[in-house]
Amino acid sequence: MTIFGAIGIAGTGVTVYRKWLDAVSDNIANINDAVPTSGQAFRARYVQAQAVHYGDGEGGVRVAGTALGDPKGRLVYEPDNPLADREGYVKYPDIDLGSQMTQLIMAQRAYQANLTVVDRAKDQYQAAIQVGKG
Amino acid sequence: MSIDAIQPLGAISPLSSVMNTTGTSGSSADPAAGMQFGNMVAQGLQKLQDVQNTADNLAVEAATGRLTDVHDYIIAATQASLATSLTVAVRNKALDAFNEIMRMQA
Repeated sequence: MTIFGAIGIAGTGVTVYRKWLDAVSDNIANINDAVPTSGQAFRARYVQAQAVHYGDGEGGVRVAGTALGDPKGRLVYEPDNPLADREGYVKYPDIDLGSQMTQLIMAQRAYQANLTVVDRAKDQYQAAIQVGKG
Repeated sequence: MSIDAIQPLGAISPLSSVMNTTGTSGSSADPAAGMQFGNMVAQGLQKLQDVQNTADNLAVEAATGRLTDVHDYIIAATQASLATSLTVAVRNKALDAFNEIMRMQA
């Protein structure tokens, strides 16, 4: 797919940011998962992007893997919670909502940026095809 | 909506050798040059068919609910549309050139 390279490369970017959006969505959805202090808290998911080696006709970006957050979480004093231990503590995931919202905005904007590249590249290719017409 | 594969017209020569026919000695009809243009067209149509197949497969995935990335289909459809436009543009240019030659007075 080298003939419309820019479109394919921007497409890999869109895929990566879609996965990042999924990860942020998962983190925010699980931000209030309380577990007993003996258990493991929900581990935040962090997408790791990596460039595809350029020069062999590929180019673009891909998800190299996901890093997981700290399972220790943070202890919260909630004696009324049925999951609380003898001292009245439960464990919550150590996820900062503000940081997740920032990542959400970054992922969303980057997703849009890559789609804009697709759109502009399409316009450019169409302009090239129109050369000499009429 | 599949297009039947175009059979290759013969051995595929490097594209750069087309430039050799611009010499004055090659003014008589050179069958090799015609074959090379035919190969170019055949290869272009083959690529077009590949792109169309990709878009068609993704469209089936979208319809059956197996599509994970919406943009994958949109991008494949865009590429198929561009490839079709490019092929039609090349075909029109070749046809124009042919008509121009046909209009030439002896």
